[in-house]
Amino acid sequence: MLTTVAQAVVNGLLIGGIYALVSIGVTLIFGVVKIVNFAQGEFVMIGMYISYFLAASFGIDPLVSLVVSMPALFVVGIVLQHFFIRRVLALGDMPQIFLTFALSLLLVNVALLLFTANYRTVQTSYSETAIHIGTLYIPMAKLIAFAVAMLLSGLLWVFLHATDLGKAMRAAAQNRDVAMLMGINPDRVFCIAVGVALALAGAAGSLLMPFYPAYPLVGQVFVLMAFVAVVLGTLGNVTGALIASLMMGVAESLGIQFVGADSGLIVVFAMLLLTLAVRPNGLFGGWNR
Amino acid sequence: MISRGLMSRGTFWSAVLAAAALALPLFNSSAFVIDIFIRVLLFAFIGVAWNLIGGYAKQLSLGHAAFFGLGAYTSTILLIRYGVSPWIGMLAGGVVAMLASLPIGALCFRLRGPYFAIATIATAQVLMLLFLKFRDFAWGAEGTTMPNLGDAPLMMQFEGKAPYYYIALALLAIGLVITYLIERSWMGYYLVAVGEDEDAAEAIGVDAPRIKRNVYLISAFLTALAGTFYVQYIYFIDPNTAFSFNVSVEAALVSIVGGIGTLWGPVVGTVLLEATSALLESWLGGGHGGVQLTVYSLILIAVILVRPSGLIGIVADAYERLVHVSAARTKEVPLDG
Repeated sequence: MLTTVAQAVVNGLLIGGIYALVSIGVTLIFGVVKIVNFAQGEFVMIGMYISYFLAASFGIDPLVSLVVSMPALFVVGIVLQHFFIRRVLALGDMPQIFLTFALSLLLVNVALLLFTANYRTVQTSYSETAIHIGTLYIPMAKLIAFAVAMLLSGLLWVFLHATDLGKAMRAAAQNRDVAMLMGINPDRVFCIAVGVALALAGAAGSLLMPFYPAYPLVGQVFVLMAFVAVVLGTLGNVTGALIASLMMGVAESLGIQFVGADSGLIVVFAMLLLTLAVRPNGLFGGWNR
Repeated sequence: MISRGLMSRGTFWSAVLAAAALALPLFNSSAFVIDIFIRVLLFAFIGVAWNLIGGYAKQLSLGHAAFFGLGAYTSTILLIRYGVSPWIGMLAGGVVAMLASLPIGALCFRLRGPYFAIATIATAQVLMLLFLKFRDFAWGAEGTTMPNLGDAPLMMQFEGKAPYYYIALALLAIGLVITYLIERSWMGYYLVAVGEDEDAAEAIGVDAPRIKRNVYLISAFLTALAGTFYVQYIYFIDPNTAFSFNVSVEAALVSIVGGIGTLWGPVVGTVLLEATSALLESWLGGGHGGVQLTVYSLILIAVILVRPSGLIGIVADAYERLVHVSAARTKEVPLDG
């Protein structure tokens, strides 16, 4: 019993690292640009297909293709912010929600047209290997993904707290008008925030590829998790999103273990609705809604 | 305002439109064509129901499939388990959806904007997952077909397609009349105030939570009627059909493309999107998964970037030019602004 719980917790933490990359991106965009990116999961999907095709065509390991997927999605993020999101920032809720929502629909369906609904997987040398600690079973691919995800989250934290650009980003998030008066160019900061967020989604995609199949709708699993984690971790709070994502991973894993294999999502949604009912501002306070 | 402009001089044209709609099945007996029109009427009706809460009050729900599904399952369970006519089941479904809208609203209205939308997605998904999981209660993932009772108007089953067409038309007419009445009542003005700026509306004494709750009740009731009608029309129900995310999306989509917060917006949007979809199908044939939603999402992005108030403005402008009104009137924008 105890080992079952421990194993479920480990599984949850490992996948929670991937959820963290996605939800940190969502919360970063929300904190800085004040937009909820409904298409964040689709950028994970794009990252997966980039890694898949690099692996299938050139035999490049998905971990190596991180150096392609992250910069590629960073550029996509700048284009997205500069040519699309920027144009709806002054408009109301409706255009702000439905622009990225429409983008999500578009990307899923274009992927469906181009790649069909088939599941695509990549086999790596470490896809089947695992570490055993006592009775615990730790798959190598998931462990690597978790470690890289934590490393990237740490780098982001350093970036936000120790660099001028990162500080400018946090300043713009706290008060756009005052930040502008201090000489911060909000358009530039917004572009970089969205770029960084999408690069994290791309990284999540590449890290998933050794142990998770790519298909057009794959992003929806991760974006739903991210939304719950972002609410739970308080909107706009990067550390909160990280901790909440790990908690979500564990909750989902325990749900699958003890309620049933098809119950992971029910547990997640129940947590969302419970959070909304009890603590609509999330668990961590921080940058306000 | 556009809709008022259409109404004051448009009584004649409304009558012509209504007459044409009523006469259509007499002139065209092709099941294929009638089927397209039934879809247009049904989704326009769902859009009209969504528009009450999503358009006028700007509470951008992406979970109306919850009410659609509850309506569909209530009437089906009553029909198959207890032999109750779907006409009664339809109203019962509406009541069940209204009851469900109270806790759903109590939870989701705590959040604003995008997070309201996400919370509503979650409620619809939870209902779908519950209906998938508890198979003893309502057939689980396999779903069930409706018992075929032949030509039984009292049980909402008919030989041809024309009766279904008239039911869908009647539903849309009911939805439009209710919207028209609300738009012109004190409730309509409060709704628009809440939609424009909830805090400001509350500051001048509008009871925003109560207004939102009441209009959500009406919207849920109407959406549930559409759910019952739909499963009676296709003779089949399963959780993925009844709680389909596409229903939630299309309800919002047709309203936005047409023009949210306007009486005729959802109708204009549905006609445009369904016409596009029918054309695509006749050009490409079936079996191209993704084409329809690709085109829908491109239209949606174009509307948001170019004309966020929706296409009804263009339609209304064309109408105004047609009847030679002064240039000043054509400059007026719809409620959404």
